[in-house]
Amino acid sequence: MPQDTTGMIFDIQSYSVHDGPGCRTNVFFVGCPLQCRWCANPESWAVKKHLLFAERSCKWDQGCTACRDACPNGSLKFNDQGKPCVDWAICNKCETIECSEVCAAHALKQCVRFLTVDDLMKVLMRDFPNWGSNGGVTFSGGEPLLHHEFLDQVLQRCRKEQMHTAIETSGFASPEVFKKIFRNLNFAFIDVKNMDEEMHKWGTGVSNKPILNNIATLAHADWWRGRLVLRQPTIHGYNDSTENAKRLIEFMNENGLFEINLLRFHRMGGTKWEQLGKVYEYNDHGDMPEERMLALQELYLDNDIACYIGEDTPF
Amino acid sequence: MSNEAKIQEILKRRGLDVSDVTDFADEVVPEPSPRFTKLINIYYMMKNTIDMEYPYWYNRVWWENDGDITEIRRAKAEAAALSHMTPTILPGELLFGNKTRNFRGAFCFPWVDASFFNAAAEAMMAGVDAPPMAAADAVSVVGAGGGNVTKDFGNVVSIAQKFGLRREEVPCLVKVAKYWDNGSVERVSARLAEARPDYQKWAGYRNSVLVMFDSWAIPQGREVINYYVPLEYGFDKIIELCDEKIAETLGEAGDDGILGMSRGYYYMACKTIAQGVSKWIENYARRAEYLAAHETDEVQKKEYLDIAAVAHHIAHKQPETFRQALNLTLMCHYGVVNEDPHSGQSIGRLGQILYPWYEKDIADGTTTDEEVIELLELYRIKITAIECFASSGVTGGVLSGNTFNNLSLGGLGYDGLTAVNPLEYLIVEAGMRGKSTQPTLSLLYDEKTPESFLLKVAQCIKLGLGYPAIMNNQGGMNYMLRHYQPEGMTIYDARAWAPGGCLESSPGCFQPLHYNGKTYMIPGGAGPTAGTGIHFTGMPKLLELVLSNGFDRRTGIQVFEPHNRKLDTYEGLLDVYYNVYLQELLEVSNRMNNLQMDTHRKICPTVWASLLKADCFANGQNQSHLGARYNGTINFESCGTINLINSLASIKKNVYDDKKYTLEEMKDAMWNNFGFKTAFETGVFSPDRREATELAPKYEKIFNDCVNAPKYGNADDYVDSILVDYEDRMLPKMLALRSYMGKQYYMCQISVSTHGPQGAITLASADGRLCGTTYADASMSPAPTTDKNGIYALFTSATCYDHAMCQNSQMNVKIHPSAIKGTQGTHKLLDVYRAYMRKGGFHIQFNVTSSKTLREAQAKPDDYRDLMVRVAGFTQYWCEIGKPIQDEVIFRTEYDS
Repeated sequence: MPQDTTGMIFDIQSYSVHDGPGCRTNVFFVGCPLQCRWCANPESWAVKKHLLFAERSCKWDQGCTACRDACPNGSLKFNDQGKPCVDWAICNKCETIECSEVCAAHALKQCVRFLTVDDLMKVLMRDFPNWGSNGGVTFSGGEPLLHHEFLDQVLQRCRKEQMHTAIETSGFASPEVFKKIFRNLNFAFIDVKNMDEEMHKWGTGVSNKPILNNIATLAHADWWRGRLVLRQPTIHGYNDSTENAKRLIEFMNENGLFEINLLRFHRMGGTKWEQLGKVYEYNDHGDMPEERMLALQELYLDNDIACYIGEDTPF
Repeated sequence: MSNEAKIQEILKRRGLDVSDVTDFADEVVPEPSPRFTKLINIYYMMKNTIDMEYPYWYNRVWWENDGDITEIRRAKAEAAALSHMTPTILPGELLFGNKTRNFRGAFCFPWVDASFFNAAAEAMMAGVDAPPMAAADAVSVVGAGGGNVTKDFGNVVSIAQKFGLRREEVPCLVKVAKYWDNGSVERVSARLAEARPDYQKWAGYRNSVLVMFDSWAIPQGREVINYYVPLEYGFDKIIELCDEKIAETLGEAGDDGILGMSRGYYYMACKTIAQGVSKWIENYARRAEYLAAHETDEVQKKEYLDIAAVAHHIAHKQPETFRQALNLTLMCHYGVVNEDPHSGQSIGRLGQILYPWYEKDIADGTTTDEEVIELLELYRIKITAIECFASSGVTGGVLSGNTFNNLSLGGLGYDGLTAVNPLEYLIVEAGMRGKSTQPTLSLLYDEKTPESFLLKVAQCIKLGLGYPAIMNNQGGMNYMLRHYQPEGMTIYDARAWAPGGCLESSPGCFQPLHYNGKTYMIPGGAGPTAGTGIHFTGMPKLLELVLSNGFDRRTGIQVFEPHNRKLDTYEGLLDVYYNVYLQELLEVSNRMNNLQMDTHRKICPTVWASLLKADCFANGQNQSHLGARYNGTINFESCGTINLINSLASIKKNVYDDKKYTLEEMKDAMWNNFGFKTAFETGVFSPDRREATELAPKYEKIFNDCVNAPKYGNADDYVDSILVDYEDRMLPKMLALRSYMGKQYYMCQISVSTHGPQGAITLASADGRLCGTTYADASMSPAPTTDKNGIYALFTSATCYDHAMCQNSQMNVKIHPSAIKGTQGTHKLLDVYRAYMRKGGFHIQFNVTSSKTLREAQAKPDDYRDLMVRVAGFTQYWCEIGKPIQDEVIFRTEYDS
């Protein structure tokens, strides 16, 4: 398992333009304490190396058979036409992922990399000159707060280099961890998925109490020097009710918060569920009607809260 | 109140400063003028047409003057040809002028190249098969859509897979071409070349398509025109000045026993061509008056009379309005591109050149910005319609049918301050409203460029038109100072540089223009063609030939003498590559190029271009006699840099460092295409198709190792250091070569569209690229899908060496439109191009389009007649591009968020 100074990262994306101000480099940590039913990055849940099978990149239909003997555990099987299929029951136990080494098409991919603080700083220092005056680095996931030891060290280094730092988080962490990380951040998106505790548990597997507490603490903290934007993946039938919005507005007004970013539910993560051998329950519902999005925006605006939809943000 | 306005208000009340954000959504671009829409729709319907008016008159007068001093004789022929062309004016036009009598026309130049027509004369007369194709043409694929005439139809004969000629003009073509059978540039230079003992080597390069084409194919262009003399003096005064100069110099050698006498002949030629161009412009005035006389619509009648007034004036005098000045530059431009087969005759910094007239007209209230934008929109159609006739491989395949009349913006002025002026904003605006492929726009990015202009440029890029491209002004200036230092390049002249053609950095200078009681320092070109040297050479193909001991397995030609070396070290491999094969190729090709270009300047000395180009008129010498200020302009064009670098990295890693495979095993895998079908068998030229054969299992391990070997574009020192080594080795080779101008060479690292045909002739390479697939485009773009660490890592790799060592470098980037939506997106696009400029990247350009759209357009070209993409240094209509290049553009890495 990772040392304190090692981060488990499943992707680093440069020229990331919708995850904070300006142009950014986005570091995606692996592992999440929540298990949202609509999650777009299900490959980031498990805190271990695992396989991602990108079926559309697979060249089996062009006669490739390079992976026929690649899995020592017998997890890779082939149908009558020769198309590879992963037996996830076996594959999920594997931490060596040898099969990815033979795939020239990169359809079989190992998901997780271990990076030291120095490794990650090297990448960030490389990208630093490209961000422009208001860009920076965003830590995302998965749940970056799960890796707080590592992240804390990285953030201290970033602060020393005067990089602009942002986080995309569920906010689900102990108050101590939360403070340790947030004191060195410049910008934060914290998700509020549902104001109703039971509904929150149903959708994500955890209570919203620690999250709301953390947000409230932050809103009044003298050690917070950043900008906080709440976020909500808006899902039809789950959290797009007027009732839910009103409760959130009340919460925001109580805490002097005034920015929220509603993200229309999208299904782009669906194929990843399949690639991981999981069933995606949001395959056929959850889409937000456009007029409902606009109605929600109106509601927030009328209550003196700046509400942005999707990528239409002033940063 | 809009939601956005409400948000602004809330944020302001809450104390958050968002004053720089006025609007989240993209501004709506106004519609083009109705005139533009009407005329561009005519353009869309027009076919590429060649006709015989110009060649007929050129030939007739040339023949009548047999025995005259060549440059005078040529001036007479050109002047006669221009002044006998039928002037065509369409209703609704404000700017007059065309290259030929046709809206979208060109003509052939048999005095340059006649064998193509003579070989086919009988067939054409009989109306049977098309002429046979040269080796390079055979592997070049011309787009079949739009205005291209790829097949005969009705009474129209298809020539060079691209142009239509009316059948009744075929006898004239055959007769004119026959005259040049023995004396064209092509024939004369071929006889000289054959006299060289190494001629067969050259034939091997050409027949294997290792080197793409001959210099005479497009002997001029890739340079920046200079409009100064006509704008400063007007034709009457030019003719007067010629008379004075003739009186002063004719019969006088001065101190120069070799060329001193030529000065008098030069001024005689200048006088003749100035008279010819003036008469040609007058013809438009007469035509406009004729049309007015027969026009019943009063509005149209007046428009014809206005055209007549403009033409009458600029046929004789310095222009007095912006419209006159613009139209004069246009006619000067046509004059130059009618001298020779031309591509890449760049307009240069038009906004800075025409600013004096714009400034006065606006101050006087005689025009408005909207009127100026309309004229600039119409100007775009005129430039878009400029066609070039050369062989199919050159025009269709290499150039994808574009003629690269590049217009530059920004940079610095003579005073070292930003050269951006209000007119340049309107040029960009006209490019946004009047969507058309030409002139392509280039921003000379400088830290002094105003932020609002950089954002305007970003807004234009976002429309997905492929322009403006971004070029590094300081990088260009450094290159000028570095390369032209032996010719006395100054910091002032360095500031006047501009890209000729797509991005062939060309020297320039500022000259004092007197107008409206003021003196303006206006920029313009100061050197001849900056691109006609050793032509596109497939660098990965050369590596293949090193591995195959000089034998081309595709054609069966022994291209180089066998080196018979073991190649048991990486250094040993590089030694053969750089010091044996490449060295021979450079030396032999340079001699052939010199013979071709010297023949060209002896038979077809440029006349009109030599009047315009800075210092020729002052020196009294033609460009052929080094009359221009800078003459070290000849380059070596490389193609496939990144596939070469990646292949070297793979061989270094797999064979020499890790010793996983022997070189024999690597070669065996390459010759067998790693067990896959070739691009010719699958019909897909991009690397997303890998159809296995029964041999695939045998090679899957080595293939995997080749694919996973270090790749350029990932900020990986292992491979980037190979690129640095490459650039370091190439520079001294260039400086050691001597062109026909007696000057040093430099590297030109652009692919145009040659990465298609040269990929087609290259077998599988050690980087995992399969046989026949297109090379990575440009010189700095990664091979598709091999850049795994994002665009910033790519920028790091690309700037691992000093780009000012070379004439250029080229980076094409495809961005999904959603990544840069809205005004914030505009800022983020600026952030990304500025980041690359600050790192020292020379050039970057964007395709803001999705692969999905392009795939749809490939399937249904008719629904996408006006879709444009950026290919290399130019924008072209999608439907007029050949399929291999279409495949390549689709498969470029797409950056989204």
